[in-house]
Amino acid sequence: MAAGKVSFFERRDESPVRMYHVSKSYIPGQRAIDDVSMELAKGEFVFLTGQSGAGKTTLLELLFADERPDDGQILVLGRNIARLRGTGIPSLRRRVGVVFQDFKLLPRRSVEDNVRIALDVVGTPRREARSRVFNVLRQVGLQHRRQHEPLALSGGEQQRVAIARALVTEPEILLADEPTGNLDPDLSLEIIELMLSAATRGTTVLVATHDISLVEKYRRRTIRLDGGRLAEDTPAAGGIG
Amino acid sequence: MSRVFVILFTLFRSGIVGLRSAAGTALISAVTIGIALFLVGAFALTIVNMEGVQARFSQKLSVTAYLETDVDDEAALEIAERVATVEGVEQVTVVGRDEALERFRGMSGGAALLEGIEENPLPASLEITLVNLNRTPQGLGILATALDGLPGIDEVADGREWIDGYARVTSLVRVSGVAIGTILSLATLLIVANTIRLGIYARENELEILALVGASRTFVRTPFLIEGTLQGVVGGIWAALILWLAYLLLMPQLEYGLMFLLGNAVPRFFNGGEIFFLVAAGAALGFLGSLASLLGWRR
Repeated sequence: MAAGKVSFFERRDESPVRMYHVSKSYIPGQRAIDDVSMELAKGEFVFLTGQSGAGKTTLLELLFADERPDDGQILVLGRNIARLRGTGIPSLRRRVGVVFQDFKLLPRRSVEDNVRIALDVVGTPRREARSRVFNVLRQVGLQHRRQHEPLALSGGEQQRVAIARALVTEPEILLADEPTGNLDPDLSLEIIELMLSAATRGTTVLVATHDISLVEKYRRRTIRLDGGRLAEDTPAAGGIG
Repeated sequence: MSRVFVILFTLFRSGIVGLRSAAGTALISAVTIGIALFLVGAFALTIVNMEGVQARFSQKLSVTAYLETDVDDEAALEIAERVATVEGVEQVTVVGRDEALERFRGMSGGAALLEGIEENPLPASLEITLVNLNRTPQGLGILATALDGLPGIDEVADGREWIDGYARVTSLVRVSGVAIGTILSLATLLIVANTIRLGIYARENELEILALVGASRTFVRTPFLIEGTLQGVVGGIWAALILWLAYLLLMPQLEYGLMFLLGNAVPRFFNGGEIFFLVAAGAALGFLGSLASLLGWRR
């Protein structure tokens, strides 16, 4: 390859998420996402803000192929979301971790089982899975709670289990929808720190939140949605990635 | 441990967990499959025994050709020699008039019937057995036609009517069994499908999470197929056990009646292969019930 030229694949590596003029409606004439274009770089940590109903959740759902765009193109890890068929969606989701406000944990399974479920679907051998689950639980500070059921844990601990499940597969992208929505300020900071550390390891992190204090504290790149439209794209302060 | 093996193990374990988490409904489903298979199995057992009798009778089939009353024993021997040359005949035995009389006397009530009769009224006859290949109603028909044209033969008696009648009864039992089996199987499929559907609703949260972490459709659905198949296997084993117990308990009571009905043969139970087939039929019912449930599930 000639020096100075960038191949398609190298460019794809640089931008794991690319959206071009994307629109999505649930009700005719009322756009949940309206002509949004943006790119996220590898290892970048980005806040997605906006009031309730601004389209944050819809945008995340489009990125993990839970919804399809009506117009525009979405490329996630080089795959066109609008054209994903059959096994395409599961194989994409194995590379994208997702965290929700309501945790989405299995209440009657242990913490260890809840995290391992992401490895079970790809057939990770038991011994390797056990070791990876232990390591990721140690990262989120819950290795001593691995045999407990989620209901025996606090809200912050449950969210950390959900993050551990999202991170155990070492995803290239981590999407989080209001991950601190149910947590007090101290726990919220813990959760954001965990996701920041994932970004430093190369994972692209997009966190939807309406908690302005978090956005102001970390001063990372912030994309603000308003009525489904991209209202503001503020870069990280002081060259932070 | 290869990834495929790990996935298979995970799916099987997930199926077992599903069964345990809805043990009550799974048990009802298995018992329903068991009842359906018990009834179908009872019909099948009746049919295999009746077919066995039919086959045994066919093997023992012989034809009796009654000679005209003016044919003496010497002439009877000549006719027998001619009959022996007919294609398909294995052996011809001459029963002379005197021997026929003796046999008749030996029969219950025979002597009383012969009282007052001075002259022997019975004709000589030929007892003809066929080679194995021809021991069928068709073979008997061919022989009877060939004998009809021979001089000295008055009447030919064969077991065709009895065999045909027995075959009709067997066929009726078989058709009834298939009809009842089909209706029961469809009803059972519906019950299994609904049981599995309940399981799907109960585990929707888990299925949503599996989909979020990248589980394929096959990965999400296979445990339910395993669950249904296991219910069917349990139902099949249960049906085979109850049939066997019923056979053991009822046989001493019904033995003589059945022996008469089945032509002096002791009714048999299913062999290993047939029991395996019964259990496999249960597994198939469970699998198809689950499949029907999953086909209607679009999420």
